[in-house]
Amino acid sequence: MATDPSSVANQRVVETLASRLRRRQVVGSRETALETVLVLRQVISKVRFSNIDQLVEIIRSIGRKLVEAQPKEHTVGNTVRKVLHHIREEYHTASQGTAVVSTSKDTLSIAKFVLQGQPRQQNVPQKTTLNESHGMLKENDADDPDAFARTLKPVLMEAIQDVLDELETVYDNISKNAKDHIHSDEIILTIGKSSTVEAFLKAAAPYRKYTVIVADTAPSYSGHDMAQSLSSAGISTVLVPDSSIYALMSRINKVMLGAHAILANGGMFAITGSLLAATAARAHSTPVVVCAGQFKLTPQWNLYHEYGALDFADPSSVLGFEEGNLVDKVDVVNPFYDYVRPELIDAFITNDGDHPPSSVYRLIKEAYDDEDYEL
Amino acid sequence: MPGLATMETNTSASVSPVVSFDICETYASFLKNEELSAPLAAILALSKLIETSDAGTMLELVKALNDGAGALKASTSNPISLNAGCELFIAFVTLLPHDSASFSDLKLELVRQGQKYAAEALTYRDKIANLALGFIKDDSVILTHSYSRVVMKTLLRAHERKRISVYVTEARPRGLGLRTYEELTAAGIPCTVVLDSAVSYVMDKVDFVLVGSEAVVESGGLINAVGSNQIAIIAQAANIPFYALAESYKFHRLFPLSQYDLPTHTSNILSFPLSPGGNVASPQTTGATKSAHEKSSNADYIRRMTPEQIACNPGVDYTRPDLITLVFSDVGSLTPEGVSQYVVGMFAG
Repeated sequence: MATDPSSVANQRVVETLASRLRRRQVVGSRETALETVLVLRQVISKVRFSNIDQLVEIIRSIGRKLVEAQPKEHTVGNTVRKVLHHIREEYHTASQGTAVVSTSKDTLSIAKFVLQGQPRQQNVPQKTTLNESHGMLKENDADDPDAFARTLKPVLMEAIQDVLDELETVYDNISKNAKDHIHSDEIILTIGKSSTVEAFLKAAAPYRKYTVIVADTAPSYSGHDMAQSLSSAGISTVLVPDSSIYALMSRINKVMLGAHAILANGGMFAITGSLLAATAARAHSTPVVVCAGQFKLTPQWNLYHEYGALDFADPSSVLGFEEGNLVDKVDVVNPFYDYVRPELIDAFITNDGDHPPSSVYRLIKEAYDDEDYEL
Repeated sequence: MPGLATMETNTSASVSPVVSFDICETYASFLKNEELSAPLAAILALSKLIETSDAGTMLELVKALNDGAGALKASTSNPISLNAGCELFIAFVTLLPHDSASFSDLKLELVRQGQKYAAEALTYRDKIANLALGFIKDDSVILTHSYSRVVMKTLLRAHERKRISVYVTEARPRGLGLRTYEELTAAGIPCTVVLDSAVSYVMDKVDFVLVGSEAVVESGGLINAVGSNQIAIIAQAANIPFYALAESYKFHRLFPLSQYDLPTHTSNILSFPLSPGGNVASPQTTGATKSAHEKSSNADYIRRMTPEQIACNPGVDYTRPDLITLVFSDVGSLTPEGVSQYVVGMFAG
């Protein structure tokens, strides 16, 4: 199978993305998610498989490769998990027609009762109405090993398109309720340049007159771009140094943050300074709202967050080589992300509704399959 | 809801010679198995009850089960976790959609399900131990309370791969912490017993708290050996994670709003003596304690609580959900809110 030309092409696509991830040529959670879906789509359209387990294993191995290449971009793994979830779902609906009606064997056990709660009425009629009209799904057909792939592929492509569509419309869906979250004459603090927050604030601009205070977010100073972008959209914008966040907090109505990854306990990784802003907000009882797409939901519990940061950026922006005599006397670290505890966050505004941190684990349970948590 | 089955097989069941089925005895005999916890023993005992019962209809059967559960409950002073098991099984029995041809078939099926579940549930502690393992870092210092089989399993599992050290509370009055201490030390885990009253003293040295549970209730709160609540409060104050381990058969439909709402709370607990000094140990018990200690040293004889004084104290307490960081169970690591979702799923239609 390794010599198969299509699988060579597939490998090349995967390797290319892996090395681009490794070199950080693809950065940003949405960007990496999009690239991952595109690669998966390309692979699935070409790959040969004769049963579902083969397909799942192929996708998982690609996922492992990509995650290894850049473990700090959580959305890569998330996207792979999401695609796997959709594939299984499509497979189950497609195979329901062929499988011998399994209601009699499928009795409730106590373990299942605990897991799924009370038996629902609607399960029963659904199975009987499905007749064998499109039940052509044959796994492991010895005469025609591609038959399974041929029948399943069109639906898989649709499923992947769904994931892609979700990613492409994510900003619109998050910001569609922006005007309900932002009120007139509010003062909002944000930090860094999150495209999600940017889209959200701009979406509310035509309806509300409000002020955004942007922290300049040293040492990347991405706040400068944010302030520019917001003010050019006609929003009254104030740029302040990071050090004044606490002092200004008493005048701020709401803190809006972006996220890099949302963890299963409801905490998140976000650009450095977020923890500072969130803690200051807590001291003043100011609400902290996080705007993020659901593709950032990561089925991991923060484990080693004591270091506060997950990733380190180039230290030269903190202390450049021009200060040569200092450089070899001090260690310079430039942590890129803060871990923000769930207690400090009031709500997540996502492309599928607003959720408190405590229900993030449930969203994760719905979005991914348990067996994929470890790719 | 399954309809009431017909009574056609009533005769065949009543022929069986079983006359003296004592649910409490059966329950006690199941409990002798070290691995079986109270809810599972209760489920097995109730399965046994179905097996021997001559009920001919669902209504009779559920009544028999409720009576059995009631008898079990009456036989013990701490029925909480046992209740969780009974409740789960009875809810399952009433809700099982079945297509059995006759009622005796259904009963057989129910018995089979009960036994299957109990067998399956024995693997849950392993599952939980594996789940919790991811949260235990190398070089962790862990505080645990009293003795819990699932906590022991988790700690021993963690010890295979990581260096951990454990503080365990003495957990008076039963002193079960000493059992934890003995077993952990035997396994080679560095372990120190701390006084129940020294929890706040030790807290700053601890990475996280790990406790077992008697039951996890609908609010997501925890019922566990007395002292858990104060540990949780201290852990919260010190900003230290408080993890509870609970097998899913310990999810219990109960919504206590305070300590005094627990079924274990009686009017005797925390009562004041009727006459002043009436609660003080009677002269002869004091004398007994004293004479025992007089042999070793006259000067510093230790004052101890008498059994009567201990009886005025609670055995379990309730920990509010906001004090609990996570609940690890066989259905996954859950936030306290997550637990209530499962409980509601099972018991509220």
